[in-house]
Amino acid sequence: MSKRLLSVLVAALALAVALAACGGSSDGSGSTGSSAGGGSEEAGAPLVGAGSTLVAPLMSKWQSDFSSKSEITVTYGAIGSGGGIEQITSRTVDFGASDAPLSEEQFEEADAQGEVEQIPWALSGTVPAYNVKGAPKDLKLNGDVISGIYLGTITSWDDPAIAKLNPGASLPSTKITPVYRSDGSGDTYAFTNYLSTVSPEFKSKVGTSTQVKFPTGVGAEKNDGVAAAIGQTDGAIGYVGLAYAVSNELAMPLVENAAGAFPEPGVKSVEAAATAVEDIGPNNEISLADLPSTAKGAYPISTYTYVIVPLETEKAAEMKKFIEYAITEGQSYGTDLDFAPLPKQVIAADEEAIAKIGS
Amino acid sequence: MEAGTLRNPVLRARRNLTDRIGDPLLRGLSGLAAALAAAVILGIVYEVTQLAWPAIQEFGLGFITTNDWNPVTKRFGAAPFLYGTVVTSFIALALAAPLSVAISIYLTELAPRRIRRPVATLIDMLAAIPTVILGLWGILVLGPFMRDTIQPALHGVLGFLPIFDGDPSAFSYLTAALILTIMATPIITSVIREVFETVPGDLKEASYALGATRWEMVRQVVLPYSRPGIVGGSILGLGRAIGEAIAVAQVIGGATLINASLFHTGGTLAAHIASQFQNSAGLQKASLAYLGVILLAFAVLVNVVARIIVQRGRIKDVDSGDLDLSAAATQAQPS
Repeated sequence: MSKRLLSVLVAALALAVALAACGGSSDGSGSTGSSAGGGSEEAGAPLVGAGSTLVAPLMSKWQSDFSSKSEITVTYGAIGSGGGIEQITSRTVDFGASDAPLSEEQFEEADAQGEVEQIPWALSGTVPAYNVKGAPKDLKLNGDVISGIYLGTITSWDDPAIAKLNPGASLPSTKITPVYRSDGSGDTYAFTNYLSTVSPEFKSKVGTSTQVKFPTGVGAEKNDGVAAAIGQTDGAIGYVGLAYAVSNELAMPLVENAAGAFPEPGVKSVEAAATAVEDIGPNNEISLADLPSTAKGAYPISTYTYVIVPLETEKAAEMKKFIEYAITEGQSYGTDLDFAPLPKQVIAADEEAIAKIGS
Repeated sequence: MEAGTLRNPVLRARRNLTDRIGDPLLRGLSGLAAALAAAVILGIVYEVTQLAWPAIQEFGLGFITTNDWNPVTKRFGAAPFLYGTVVTSFIALALAAPLSVAISIYLTELAPRRIRRPVATLIDMLAAIPTVILGLWGILVLGPFMRDTIQPALHGVLGFLPIFDGDPSAFSYLTAALILTIMATPIITSVIREVFETVPGDLKEASYALGATRWEMVRQVVLPYSRPGIVGGSILGLGRAIGEAIAVAQVIGGATLINASLFHTGGTLAAHIASQFQNSAGLQKASLAYLGVILLAFAVLVNVVARIIVQRGRIKDVDSGDLDLSAAATQAQPS
């Protein structure tokens, strides 16, 4: 009798202790990010960042290479652009990474604790992919047609607008199923930014964001969900990251650029687009959707992804070193991962921005 | 220990001591454990509500009836997702509950004794399939099958109903509901099977003795006796269906509007939170937390209703069980 009682007591005590321990640990975890900067010794303070998932594969190369060269460790959480912006706004990380440039409102919030700066540090593309039985390979599309498809005004693959771009090709009458990302994504930002630039109707009805409300179509999770949905649906068209489309050999349509050419999607054509755009906007914001009509080889749906850093920081030296590395040496890792190298004018603007950190 | 005469009083004193300290101690410790559990629930409610506060202030209760979710215009509402949650989880319940009862009857009354355990284990293992895998299977196999076979058939026969109208789609409320059915069935089955096994053998024997067939015995003894268990198990399955996020997000198609057709893409509260929370900030994040508050409230509501049903069922079942037996007896007597 008393033995049983004892075992019940022990069990209850263990449970209570375990519960108390859980409560305690969840309490403290919130403040670890900012306290990491205590020791500034020879090795350099470790940097903590969070945000964009698009830049994550490139970042993991940077992390190992940079820490071996500079003895500064970089920790990165690919929690999504929105989360990255939020964390840098509350200064729980040393830098945030975002696929979409900050809006004015977001800048205001982030500047509340001292000015922040936005620096483009990687360059990639978003490409449409399609699966239509009986349609030709390298189907040609343009911005008007794609926005028509995503607005629900072009609904079958033998639509006259598509036929006009593909003279002589036999097009099936299959119903078009547009596929989009249901989770927030830098690819959605690049894609909607492009469509909003080429189509005023798309701009007013849908707009540009990492998450938008498409009037028609099917939503799928992440790049692989979109690819699976396209693969399983005859007549589907979707959009994925350049690296994902290339490594999975998805069928990609050719998209017309401002020069009236249909460049093959890839690192080269993305680089051509970036080189062609000379204008760097306020806060280093650069849109690659509005290409000059002289850039024949430029891919029309290219996009920059940004790092966001506070100008006032205890780790200014380390931060400068890391971003400097990322925009110069670090770019060499891009090609294998389908990131294009930054063009000269952007590196020059970045250098100016880096100089302001900690000054 | 030393002398027999001392032995009893010592033991008695000891027992009294453990009784005196043990009981309050046990009460205290177990009470503390219960209080901690309650504190965790209250803490979660508090945190989620606090996270949702900006959205609650901005949209108020109108949020629940707003049929929109547009991050560009910053207009958010819960209606499309509340609708999706109700539709998918109740379809799943309507399919899974009868299925589970049938499986349980087979496993406890009809199946050869030798195969009962293996089959039961297999069904239990269905619950062990990771939800992401089930979702992938939904995208690659179930969805296309629904689009190419089931939905056209339903449309052909029942197409005049708005819920079976519209173009077939692999990503739909219906596909999500079926995935949820597959998830809920093993849970409901395991509860119902346990309950069926507790039906006293005497009652079954009595029923047979009165001339009942196997089906009559199940209908008049096993089912009435187990009614609270069946309801309880079903509610457990419904809870699973309401809360499931990942697999649903994979197959429901992430639309943010209410659609009458079950063939159309949609969204549920849990799936939408799981899908969008990571990349959201500001008012959108608060609105997602608001969806979380609604999901919590909805789950609690379902639980309370279930409790009421179980309570009422328990009282009724004793009466009706007796009545059925006596009815069977009066039927059997004349012949």
